[in-house]
Amino acid sequence: MTAFLTALQKDFLLQWRGRGQIVAIFAFGAATLLLFSFAIGPDSVALRQHAAGFLWLGLLLASTLSLAESFEREMEEQALEGLLLLPASARALYYGKAVANCAQLAMIGAALVPVMVVLYDAGTIRLLSLLGVIVLGTAGLSAPGTLYAAMTAQTRARQTLLPLLLFPLVVPVLLAAVKATSLLILGDPMEQLRPWASLLGAFAVVQWALGGLLFGRVVED
Amino acid sequence: MAAASQGPLPKGLVAVGAVLLCIGSYWGLAQAPGEIFMGDVQRIMYVHVPTAWNAMLALTFAFVCAVFFLFTNSWKWDNRLEAAMEMGVVLSLLLCTQGAIWAKPTWGVWWDWDPRLTTTAVMVFAFGGILALRAFVDDPMKRAVWSAVACIVAFADVPIVYFSVKWWNSLHQAQSTPATVSKAFHWPLRINAFGILFLWAGLVALRTRVAALRLRSEIAPPLPAPSARGTDARASGSAW
Amino acid sequence: MSGVIAGGWEYVIAAYAATAVVLGGYAASVFLRWRTERNRAAAESGGGRTT
Repeated sequence: MTAFLTALQKDFLLQWRGRGQIVAIFAFGAATLLLFSFAIGPDSVALRQHAAGFLWLGLLLASTLSLAESFEREMEEQALEGLLLLPASARALYYGKAVANCAQLAMIGAALVPVMVVLYDAGTIRLLSLLGVIVLGTAGLSAPGTLYAAMTAQTRARQTLLPLLLFPLVVPVLLAAVKATSLLILGDPMEQLRPWASLLGAFAVVQWALGGLLFGRVVED
Repeated sequence: MAAASQGPLPKGLVAVGAVLLCIGSYWGLAQAPGEIFMGDVQRIMYVHVPTAWNAMLALTFAFVCAVFFLFTNSWKWDNRLEAAMEMGVVLSLLLCTQGAIWAKPTWGVWWDWDPRLTTTAVMVFAFGGILALRAFVDDPMKRAVWSAVACIVAFADVPIVYFSVKWWNSLHQAQSTPATVSKAFHWPLRINAFGILFLWAGLVALRTRVAALRLRSEIAPPLPAPSARGTDARASGSAW
Repeated sequence: MSGVIAGGWEYVIAAYAATAVVLGGYAASVFLRWRTERNRAAAESGGGRTT
């Protein structure tokens, strides 16, 4: 447990030191939301209808930057090998990084909500539920994302490989998160939010378990 | 024995498979009666359903190879994994093509977001991505471990993708691809299913040999001197 | 879904043709690759052995 907390602390510290990059990633996300509205046209009805989809697509694209960047520092000066020599288990390292990545993505997601409200006239009063959906969704993204970021950081075509591997895998997150967010924005007369949120939760549980089991093999020498 | 075994089994399997596929297809095309509602378009099912079964089977076999590799660290499982994934992707691509050709006259659109076909499309991207990963990793051990890990994660994801797409789609439309085939049509279906099964089993066996030969030259390239002895223990012996 | 779809043989043929082309093409590619690798391995073991 202490190894996990120490790893988490290390990753939060690294994120804090690199907070300029987090702001840049948020700006990238906001820019994509803007581009989506140009792609659809100034049709406020259509934009509001699909606002949830745009938010999650923007967040998904931003996640490739965020996840890749989380392992950049480990690759410099062979920090990863140094970490693995410590008596902390690879599992603790994985969960520390995955939690930190999840927190960072959730923050970016939450920051993109006002952008969505302004650009698409798509707000909701159920802000806590929206935050819950964002946390569940980013949890589903960050678990496999951290695993694959660890792999692709060590390859030649890292920028293409990470999204290529991650996107097909997180289709359930995209489906469920967009549906849940849409219900919050457009109304949920038949109380369908909970099942979709449960799907997000179930996906996250499976991916976090798998990631913890397999990460050790991914980073071993 | 220096080179990989030269047995005739894989080619035999491919030949038998091809013959069975021809018999089953001829039966389905020429002899079996047309279906009541869909008329002759239904005959696509005689290749579509067997392809579906075999695509899933090939990818399941790939998953098994991935698990075995992680437990045994034996190169033969990595070679089989590479072959099985490639075969699975080819069969899945074929499945999507057949599905689109079937959908156009039936629903009027090339793609109707049928949960099974949509899941297959996601699998094409997921496993195709793993094949791309293999191309960009030079270290054979890392390549093997990472593709095994990725294959396990992707395969475990398949039921979740299927379930979520099914649910997502059910809210929009009630159409679904008919899965049941009535009794009169069973024989051509079964023959084609075994035909494709033998075909892909033989091709995977051959492709495994290709992977083994390539791996051998990668981790134990031939030495220039004619009397050089064995180098890497892992490269020798049967690797398929 | 009701009513009879008349004809449609061009789609049936397209589907069977696609199957034949994909499976045949892939089989051919595997055979070709296997022959290449086998010949290369034979040529290399003629010059220098690895086992």
